[in-house]
Amino acid sequence: MQNAKDTFYITLRSRLATVNPARVMTLRSVSRPGILVADAEPPMPQPILDAFSLSWTGLEADLQLPAILVQMTCEIQYSTAGTVLNAGLDRGRTLEEMDYEILKLLYPYSAQKMNYAQNPAVAMDTMVFWSEPQFGPAVTLRDRLSRSVRVTVFAFQEQGEL
Amino acid sequence: MADLSTQNPTGLAQRVATALLRAGGGATACLQMPPLAGDASNAGQIGLDAPGFLSLPLAPAVFRKARVAMQDGQLPKYELLISADAVAAQVTQLNLSSAQTLFSMAAGIAVAGKLFLIEAVSTSESQGQAYLYRLQLQEACGEWPI
Repeated sequence: MQNAKDTFYITLRSRLATVNPARVMTLRSVSRPGILVADAEPPMPQPILDAFSLSWTGLEADLQLPAILVQMTCEIQYSTAGTVLNAGLDRGRTLEEMDYEILKLLYPYSAQKMNYAQNPAVAMDTMVFWSEPQFGPAVTLRDRLSRSVRVTVFAFQEQGEL
Repeated sequence: MADLSTQNPTGLAQRVATALLRAGGGATACLQMPPLAGDASNAGQIGLDAPGFLSLPLAPAVFRKARVAMQDGQLPKYELLISADAVAAQVTQLNLSSAQTLFSMAAGIAVAGKLFLIEAVSTSESQGQAYLYRLQLQEACGEWPI
């Protein structure tokens, strides 16, 4: 399951670098595309603005198949306060831009499962695939607009995989 | 209307705050900072590599419990008062733009061998210059080696 999660994150991160190279953030002294796995970073009192944060929530397993099929729910959260140049009055437009980026990041809805615990990463035998995004409502908190997107990620548990 | 009266900062407030903090406990708090050369690898972003946080000492400081836990499962909160001189020295050493940047980069703060998460930072100023930083902390659940 962890390989599927890692593959999903790194696939989205690679696509983001292509879709919008300007969406970068500096986290733990590294400048990188503006997407992170929440449970692999230090806890933050406030979300990082203009970046995508992945949280893994639901988990189900289908045991009736020759290989176990796991379904994991990934919640992608993002917030924006607009740009300084427009004094934040463009936060609606900035959120819309991030909504569109999510659509582009998620398509195509599959990727080759990789094992990133090995260096270099090793391709595995199956694919990771995921559902179309379910967009939650935009939430306003003072000058900040946020949205949460839910994606169900599917992967077969391979022999000997953790 | 702007206040155009002459005010010459003498650093008095900073020295008084430092002396009071030293007299009131004089504890040392260590910010857990990411290494200057971060881990840009895939493993560093998916929780495989140890982050290698650096311990950045700040002293003198006073550490105290701010509020008792009122609800089941709620962790107690603490306050840390830090001398602005100590913070300014580290900001200069790390070539950072502000103290806020320093605190926002930190993954936590260790006091007496225990790790705390920074929830909020406030500043007390005199003549436009900070003399005291007040950090609101929450006890971390994990027992990290510090």
